[in-house]
Amino acid sequence: MNTGQVISGIGHAGLIGWMLFGGSFQSEPLPFEVTEVSVISSDAFEALLPGGPTPDTVTDVALPVEPEVIPDPVETPVPDESVEVETPEPTPAPEPETVPEPPAPEPEPEVADDAPVQPAPQDQAVVAPEVSPNPVPRPSERVAPEPVAPPAPEAAPDEVQQDAVTESETGESQVEEQEATAPEEAATEIVTEAEEPSGAPTASLRPPARRPSPPVQTAEPESEAEAEPEPTQTAEPADTSEDVNDALREALGGAEQEIPQGPPLSAGEKDALRVAVSNCWNVGSLSSEALQTTVVVTVDMTQDGKPVVPTIRLASSSGGSQAAAQQAFEAARRAIIRCTRDGYDLPVEKYGQWKEIEMTFNPERMRIK
Amino acid sequence: MMVRVLCLILMCLAPAWAVAQNGPLRIEITEGVIEPLPVAIPDLVPEGTGTGDWGQRIARVVAEDLTGTGLFREIPSSAFISQVSSFAAPVQYADWKAINAQALVAGAVSVNGNQINVKFRLYDVFSGAELGDGLQLAGTTDGWRRIAHKIADVVYSRITGETGYFDSRVVFVSETGPKDDRRKRLAIMDYDGANVQYLTGSEAIVLAPRFSSSGDRVLYTSYETGFPRIYVLDVGSVQRRVLESQQGTMSFAPRFAPNGQTVVYSLTQGANTDIWAMNIASGQSQRLTSTPAIETAPSFSPDGGQIVFESDRSGTQQLYVMPAGGGEARRISFGEGRYGTPVWSPRGDLIAFTKQSKGRFHIGVMRTDGSEERLLTASFLDEGPTWSPNGRVIMFARETQGAAGRSTLYSVDITGRNLRPVRTPEGGSDPSWGPLQR
Repeated sequence: MNTGQVISGIGHAGLIGWMLFGGSFQSEPLPFEVTEVSVISSDAFEALLPGGPTPDTVTDVALPVEPEVIPDPVETPVPDESVEVETPEPTPAPEPETVPEPPAPEPEPEVADDAPVQPAPQDQAVVAPEVSPNPVPRPSERVAPEPVAPPAPEAAPDEVQQDAVTESETGESQVEEQEATAPEEAATEIVTEAEEPSGAPTASLRPPARRPSPPVQTAEPESEAEAEPEPTQTAEPADTSEDVNDALREALGGAEQEIPQGPPLSAGEKDALRVAVSNCWNVGSLSSEALQTTVVVTVDMTQDGKPVVPTIRLASSSGGSQAAAQQAFEAARRAIIRCTRDGYDLPVEKYGQWKEIEMTFNPERMRIK
Repeated sequence: MMVRVLCLILMCLAPAWAVAQNGPLRIEITEGVIEPLPVAIPDLVPEGTGTGDWGQRIARVVAEDLTGTGLFREIPSSAFISQVSSFAAPVQYADWKAINAQALVAGAVSVNGNQINVKFRLYDVFSGAELGDGLQLAGTTDGWRRIAHKIADVVYSRITGETGYFDSRVVFVSETGPKDDRRKRLAIMDYDGANVQYLTGSEAIVLAPRFSSSGDRVLYTSYETGFPRIYVLDVGSVQRRVLESQQGTMSFAPRFAPNGQTVVYSLTQGANTDIWAMNIASGQSQRLTSTPAIETAPSFSPDGGQIVFESDRSGTQQLYVMPAGGGEARRISFGEGRYGTPVWSPRGDLIAFTKQSKGRFHIGVMRTDGSEERLLTASFLDEGPTWSPNGRVIMFARETQGAAGRSTLYSVDITGRNLRPVRTPEGGSDPSWGPLQR
């Protein structure tokens, strides 16, 4: 029922719209048909005959003319009732639906052929000025009917762009539209850009690059030992974690205001993190029961993409015993820690979105592999 | 229209929801990797004098146990950045982390006369913490391998969450000589093929030895009298006795019930073979099946409530499960080929079997209802599966083709990975894996 109503509604609306505003679009098709039917048959064609040095092209044009007038007026009224009344007025031509049946189909291929072929317009050059100076204004015709209100609702989805068009009313309307919309947010700042560096979106948060210092060279083991335990000498397991904690506190506590929230991570960024952890999640040594256990692990992250080891904890588990959950958790913890020597590849500008991560390790797909 | 309107509303609200979302970033990890866990096993630190190379020997056995599972990969000592110089010294996690060691086994050994004392700790390198508490083991130098196996069991258990199986023994039929003159005798060995000891002579054919659940006795079939008869052998004293049997019958394929008091076996009377149960103490027997088909190779479920066996009652050799006291049996194997020698897993979740299909033999496992059948091996002749104490590994016999063909023992993980031969001094067949030793 709805489909029928919709089709009927669309049909009626189109018909009414065509009846109301169709006149404004008549300019295109009219000239073609009118020229062929009325002009060519009588005066112009005869005038051309005596001086026709190019009989070939003339014959081409003449051929379609013959069938045009005679059969058409008789046939057109039959197919479309509503259009019948208007057909005598050449109006039906603009719409392709009505055109194909009557004379339209025949002239169309001719026009199409004429366009690419240069000689034809030369011959018809005489004819053209008579009837149709219109071919040129085609593209602008649709802009020309602007003052008419109705077009606006039809193009509702592009309202924004049309507004820009109305402002300029020039051929460059499209370019101006996007320029006007995009910079709106930044416009206030950009206006003050030159002399006012203290714009709202401070770029000061960016300086701490994501991972400028992962590959610390082993040249200075003592001085860098605290920052990164890899080097040599005095390895202090507790110290490393404290250092990381300090880094986290600095990131979370001391610079709360500086934590960039940013938009949520994109699917690609999440996938990158997922793949990174997956590559280090080794379930080969897990028991069968542990492989039945899904664990949820939470971890705090530093701004350089490294996990804060002491914060890795088992949030929940399901599917196995406590011992199995512990085994699964330890494998998950190893996975989180193992592949983060250089930190996970996470966008610093979105640190607020991933400073705390909850990872669900579900080994369901790994059981029978 | 309504749908469009709703869509527009949702699109307008989506950003607001996104902004309003709080809490941690949530991701789900469903794909991992299956690879051996890198583990560092430096030689045990010698404490006191007279330790010789015990520390190295024990460490080697521990490493072989762990790597033999396919779940661990030993990091060669040449890659070590730091050494464990003292059992009490703090672990340099960074050094071990740098060589990607995920676990570290550090220990010390001291020897006093023929007494050996071993202590060790297991560390989770990336977590920077010890896994479990340290353990100390004491024994005689003769039993040093058992000490090493026990260390490996603890490491294995703490990392995988499953009990180990290294400190266990296997009874099997040792085979020597060509196929047309093969000599067989019962033998017992460590699970890895070491310490082989012979339990019988080679004067009579022996078949199908089976450990009791406690590991103190072995059932087997012998042709000493010309007819197959079932014997019970005490492993400790190597004393044996024959089980009572009816005159003019053949009994074979025995297996203990989990309680150790009952034995199920096959008994052939005339042309019919059925499954019987016997109380070892009283000698009373009970018939469990009574069909004209050949039914044999019974095996109890771990709880003793059911028996899986093979039968050709359907026209082909298939697997069936029936109550331990007999009764209606249900068929569980429906695949192509013939199924035989079923063995119930000590976990109770799987049944191992031998399958013959398209001219090849396979060792496989299936659920106790017959579902999820998986073939683990394929060769000219694989047969006689037996489960490790933890139900994770299956040992079986593989015989090569030809007149010079030889039967040897192999083990394979229930996933089908890590197929490897068991190093025995001679050929072997019919293995039966005993429980963990105490």
